[in-house]
Amino acid sequence: MKLAAIDYFILALYFAFVLGIGWMLRKKISTSGDFLTSGHSVPVWITSLAFLAANLGAQELVGMSGNGAKYGIITAHFYWVGAVPAMIFVGLFMMPFYYGSRARSVPEYLKLRFDEKTRGLNALSFAGMTIFSSGISMYALGLLMKLVLGWSFTTSVLCSAAIVLAYTFLGGLTSAIYNEVLQFFLIVFGFSPLAIMAVAKAGGWAGMSARLSTMTLPTGQNGDVMVHSWKYVAHTADNPMGIEVFGLVAGLGFVMSFGYWCTDFLVIQRAMAANSMSASRRTPVIAALPKMMMPFIVIVPGIAALALSQMDVGYSLPMKNGGPDYDQVLTTLMGKFYPAGMLGVGLTGLMASFMSGMAGNVTAFNTVFTYDIYQTYIRPGRPDHHYLTVGRMTTIVGVALSICTAYLAQSYNSINDLLQLVFSFVNAPLFGTFLLGMFWKRATGHGAFFGLLSGTCAAALTHGFTVAEGKGGWLGQVHHFPSSMAQNFWIAIMAWTVCFTTTIVVSLATQPRPEKELVGLVYSLTPLKHDEGVSWYKRPVPLAIAIGTLALILNFWFA
Amino acid sequence: MMDLRIPSGSFFVLLGLILAGMGILTPGERAALTDANVNLYCGFAMLAFGSFLLALAWRAAHKQP
Repeated sequence: MKLAAIDYFILALYFAFVLGIGWMLRKKISTSGDFLTSGHSVPVWITSLAFLAANLGAQELVGMSGNGAKYGIITAHFYWVGAVPAMIFVGLFMMPFYYGSRARSVPEYLKLRFDEKTRGLNALSFAGMTIFSSGISMYALGLLMKLVLGWSFTTSVLCSAAIVLAYTFLGGLTSAIYNEVLQFFLIVFGFSPLAIMAVAKAGGWAGMSARLSTMTLPTGQNGDVMVHSWKYVAHTADNPMGIEVFGLVAGLGFVMSFGYWCTDFLVIQRAMAANSMSASRRTPVIAALPKMMMPFIVIVPGIAALALSQMDVGYSLPMKNGGPDYDQVLTTLMGKFYPAGMLGVGLTGLMASFMSGMAGNVTAFNTVFTYDIYQTYIRPGRPDHHYLTVGRMTTIVGVALSICTAYLAQSYNSINDLLQLVFSFVNAPLFGTFLLGMFWKRATGHGAFFGLLSGTCAAALTHGFTVAEGKGGWLGQVHHFPSSMAQNFWIAIMAWTVCFTTTIVVSLATQPRPEKELVGLVYSLTPLKHDEGVSWYKRPVPLAIAIGTLALILNFWFA
Repeated sequence: MMDLRIPSGSFFVLLGLILAGMGILTPGERAALTDANVNLYCGFAMLAFGSFLLALAWRAAHKQP
């Protein structure tokens, strides 16, 4: 891809603004709370967009447009069945406890609700996971910079790490959140013109459908499957993703999505930074609106790319090792539709998303390490400025560790599948723990701890005994899945079920905590405040109903 | 707390001016697969969005003296 001087200038302009925001915010940081939790002071429109953008990292843009070309509109299930219901649920039912308990992190909530060992387990696994995700973002960014700027992988990784380090070190969580919002705008403006032009060129949605239904996919199905999200999910053999409706709804829609959006501190941290209880509840709900529109920006161009490759217009899918290289679909489309200038904007948006993916993970890692590991186990009881210093130092350590994992990530080829695998090991059992913790007052600390442990083991065992696309099966081959996506869904289902039942059994066998200690932490013991007398769009419940209805309509529309 | 609408508004106004300027000065610049003056249209859209953010920030600053 050939870049002009103006493209580099736009890239430099963006980096200048990013660093400038960090610089302007540096004076606001005087306590560890300012640095690590933004002091509960951020307006709701900012927390909402940051809630969305923190997750809009490497896997979303590059992975999802690749999946669009590989699997079609079925990929939108990650949004319309997965993310949106989970985001509405976390806003309505879980934020009251996260925000109301005054916990500073998700592991700290586990400490308040259950006990120290449950927090420790969650804090350690989460810290490991954030470093892993951050490294994957960095790896993807390194590849992109190598491709676009022609720098070596090492130079690219170090350079992007330095920028992320600079603005998170200066302005902490607030700086990360502000830059996530800027990044979100840039992605919308950088990618929606591409989606519009690619679809228009392919003859609109109707033209694309007609074109695709005349072709046969590499997996053997008719191309019509690319433009229907529900029509071909009855059997695994009917769709290229190799999934069926139960695995989809229970695995992705229930366990994986709820596990991610309801318990992952990376996103919850953004909602916790909101300036009021009502704002923190509305944060994920409002974020669900742009979230359900994301498929039009990230997935639909991928489908259009496949349609275009069937037409005689001079576009073909990028190839690698004799097969399509889906991770390059987005960048090749940009090269074909954007002249110098807009190309710079698109690439800047792509880099911005990788960088904020890293920054989001680094800030979450900071908070969990400083409060849940350092302040709890290593040096408790120090004055606050000590923890501020530790928080800043942790930023440096977090970035350094991410660089190491970026090199590790080089050995895997499909970024999205890898991330989903990690999430299913760690997050899927977690949702079982939180569900019981928040809605069943009888659940105990021992129950939660052993539930989590057994759930994670169940995930690992399922992966060990099943094979999909040559992955897994390191303990034996008991079952063969048609795709690694289906395998991930079932790993999540197994992990969640084992965690849920183990927690119940162990809880019933152990001593419950007195009810008065659980006020503010459990649903049945906490009076929920209703926001009477404010307009409907400022209240979480009516907002949730409106946005949920919209998601339902989208599901039917593209069924 | 700094009003985020000011830096992000300024960023998009600048970006919009650059792109719209390119669209006007080099109207022959076209990508392989499209006949549209992409820079011009996108530039105007960003300019409008950036100005909108700045206007909101300006209104908020003048409401509470």
